Amino acid sequence: MKQRGCSDTSACATSQSENNEMEPQLSWYLALSAVLFTIGVTGVIIKRNIIAMFMCIELMLNSVNLTFVAFSSFFQDVTGQLFVFIVMTVAAAEAAVGLGIIIAIFRNRESLDVDEASILKL
Amino acid sequence: MLALLFLLFAALAVGCALAMVAQRNPLYSAISLIGVFVSLACLYIMLAAPFIAAVQVIVYAGAIMVLVVFVIMLLNVEVEERRTGRLKFLVPAAVVLAFVLFAEVAFILASMQEFYVTPASASANVGVTHSIGTALFTQYLLPFEITSILLLMAIVGAMTLARRGGLLSPNARVIPGAQQLPLSIVDASVGIEDTRAVETDTTDEAARLLGYERLRDESERE
Repeated sequence: MKQRGCSDTSACATSQSENNEMEPQLSWYLALSAVLFTIGVTGVIIKRNIIAMFMCIELMLNSVNLTFVAFSSFFQDVTGQLFVFIVMTVAAAEAAVGLGIIIAIFRNRESLDVDEASILKL
Repeated sequence: MLALLFLLFAALAVGCALAMVAQRNPLYSAISLIGVFVSLACLYIMLAAPFIAAVQVIVYAGAIMVLVVFVIMLLNVEVEERRTGRLKFLVPAAVVLAFVLFAEVAFILASMQEFYVTPASASANVGVTHSIGTALFTQYLLPFEITSILLLMAIVGAMTLARRGGLLSPNARVIPGAQQLPLSIVDASVGIEDTRAVETDTTDEAARLLGYERLRDESERE
């Protein structure tokens, strides 16, 4: 199990246990994903522009995608990458509908500030 | 070597993400976000997932960001002004929550070292298009079909949301077949301030009201 996918000897040699520290571990990817997700949450909280908030949501989706791909690669299971594919589709749909909503809000209010769109009436 | 590459791309991703949040011009934020997407695609390649990396670049850095940049340019977004003095009482809560998060990350880093699992090497066929396609069209066919319905709903929703609602502008060019026309287009004696509309049932009637029938006859006569 540990050496699955090692066809040539050089690739197997680098994944020996004495060289573990030089290989990116699963926890590295998870930590990076957590940091990116936190930056996205921070952006959603502190941003006032609705398009910037939208992009921060995209960043959060991407950090979760990184978690999926990391688990999928480290556990040799393709399911995670399938769900990344589906998450990307949902993100594309979200982009289309979200930008439509942004255009509708801008048409009615002439502003993209979320503080001015606090009443849920277009 | 791989660790150095990981650190390079991770630093690029985090730096671009921080720049995205720190920027106040939405266009610069969008460009920084493209940097995040590209560095994440490089990380996907390091994780032996070339298909997902390609889709990441095509769909995210390509389609979605083009849409976002297009909307930014369409709406003539102004630079966000800085506002201070709000939500002061939330600062201690933010500090506590950030500490909790860093504690969690440290716990993960400390405890996950015991579970050493090998990443898929480049010769493993986990992330190639063939295995993804096989799984997508056999075991996960139902989510795939649901996704297609979702995309259809998104198309209809985006068209419904983005079109201009209500009566048409008096200056609008009206094609035959529209069911509701401003009265000022049909009747020239009505001022353009009048926002009443006439309703037509058929395409022929709309064309007749608009004078398209007469135009077509004249062109045929010539």
